[in-house]
Amino acid sequence: MTSSAIEVLDVRKNYHTFRGKMLSALQGVSLRVEPGTIFGLIGQNGAGKTTLIKILLGLATPTAGSAHVLGRSPKNPSARRRFGYLPEQMRLPDYFRAENFLRYMGRLNGVDRTLMKQRIPMLLERVGLTDFRKSVKAYSKGMQQRLGLAQALINDPEVLFLDEPTDGLDPLGRKDVRELLVQLRAQGKTIFLNSHLLSEVELVCDRIVILNNGSVARAATPQEFTRGTGEYLIRVAAVNDAVRAATTRIVGGDTVEWERTTFRFTPRDRTHLNSLLDRLRGAPVEIESVEPVKLSLEEFFLQVVSGREP
Amino acid sequence: MFATYLNSLHESMSRRVALVLLGVAILIAIILNAVVHVRTLPDGATMILVGAQPPAPPVIAVPSMLESILRATGSLWMLLAIFAAAPLLTGTLERGWLELTFSKGTARWKIFLGRFLAGLTLYSLMFAVATLPVALRLWWKTGIETWQIGVALLIQTFGFAALLAVAALVTLPQKGVALPVIAAAAIWLLTPALAMRQETFYRIFSSHVMRGIIDWTYRILPKCSELEEMCVSFVQGRTIASWWPVWSTGVFTLLVLGLTILLLDRKSF
Repeated sequence: MTSSAIEVLDVRKNYHTFRGKMLSALQGVSLRVEPGTIFGLIGQNGAGKTTLIKILLGLATPTAGSAHVLGRSPKNPSARRRFGYLPEQMRLPDYFRAENFLRYMGRLNGVDRTLMKQRIPMLLERVGLTDFRKSVKAYSKGMQQRLGLAQALINDPEVLFLDEPTDGLDPLGRKDVRELLVQLRAQGKTIFLNSHLLSEVELVCDRIVILNNGSVARAATPQEFTRGTGEYLIRVAAVNDAVRAATTRIVGGDTVEWERTTFRFTPRDRTHLNSLLDRLRGAPVEIESVEPVKLSLEEFFLQVVSGREP
Repeated sequence: MFATYLNSLHESMSRRVALVLLGVAILIAIILNAVVHVRTLPDGATMILVGAQPPAPPVIAVPSMLESILRATGSLWMLLAIFAAAPLLTGTLERGWLELTFSKGTARWKIFLGRFLAGLTLYSLMFAVATLPVALRLWWKTGIETWQIGVALLIQTFGFAALLAVAALVTLPQKGVALPVIAAAAIWLLTPALAMRQETFYRIFSSHVMRGIIDWTYRILPKCSELEEMCVSFVQGRTIASWWPVWSTGVFTLLVLGLTILLLDRKSF
């Protein structure tokens, strides 16, 4: 049995306001992330995602429960030397150049100087920052994000925490980041990804957790989240009275609504679907396509957070 | 800690306040060197002329000159240097930067202490730039030892450490550089009044309890003005009459710094 890369057990985090009111950011969150996987954390603003990441990085202490990364408490600085982190809101002081920024980040992680000399140009090339001699204040948001990604990798981390890694990147940059994440996973790295871009999460993650109001609302693989709804979209060449009559005969009811040449149908079983298709062919009408309707991760997410979960 | 220390020095040099103060220190050094003239008389004796004052022999003029330099620059530099050093501390806790640094494999206290030491270095550097050139020139030209200014520099830096520790503690519960600067400046202003409490506070408060509180406040707080007096008397007589201001300020600094580090380590961001 392999141990988890990240293990969170019944973590609660409460904050007290100045007026003495208690705010609960996390209400008993438990999750496990297996080594060498990409784990996606999604949720609305204020769901507790950033608080959870902060606890996993030792930036915040849980009110109750425990969090372990690579079997150790993230409060321990030597344990954090095996982590990489790209924060959502990163502030790069103006006086840095890309090289000395990475050198400083590496030094904080105890990376050897000679190793850094080799690694810095490699990393900058890997994240697509070729113009690295100019001051970071001249960098665009996208370039700063690329530099942030490079600093997260400076210590060759075993676990990588990425908070909105594609924020500010153009579509090509996003694709680069996705490819980088897949490469890192192939190298055995564990990636903890927090993103609002659900299509990206769906594309790269092995497992996804939806956090809602400080607790885990759902945890599953992207395939499980995006499974079929049981509905089919039937598209025909043209709709006439014969087509409508054939549909009414199979579906039942007084009126059958066609949206132009498309009909949304929930059959009882496959025979039921085939009988409709046979009727349509006999109408006669040419059937252009029959597609099972699947929920996107975004649709599923919206249903969960609005309380209409399937 | 050393990486943070070097980085903080780099950062402070990029800030306008530090650069302006360093420029002022260089200007002071130039002015001091311009007003001090060392003349050799026809009989071979060396005399020192300071501005329009009558010439004086080096044995009298050099300690007097060092005392004037200390009085003019020493304590005031503390106040000015706080403006340059406090942003180093508040910058540690800036959102977007603290997440980057405190999530790394270096303990928070090391990062904070690195920046604190960089603040002290900044003060020492400014003080040294303003005072050492003229002290070295006087020693070179007259042969009278001026190394005492180096000891004065250390003692003054010690006093500055106490003020910076106060600024560090005030940095924790809030954002912004104003409050740490105000807190340090308040202590700096309060200490001479407390040192002369018989002539200041005792005239306002006649109650035994209040005077007791004032006495304890004096004992607890750093002794910036007394440290300055100590520097002056050391430069003149090479003796330190009482170590009380040094060790009581040292205890204060250690306690405040220790508390700051403890609170920082326990703080949730």
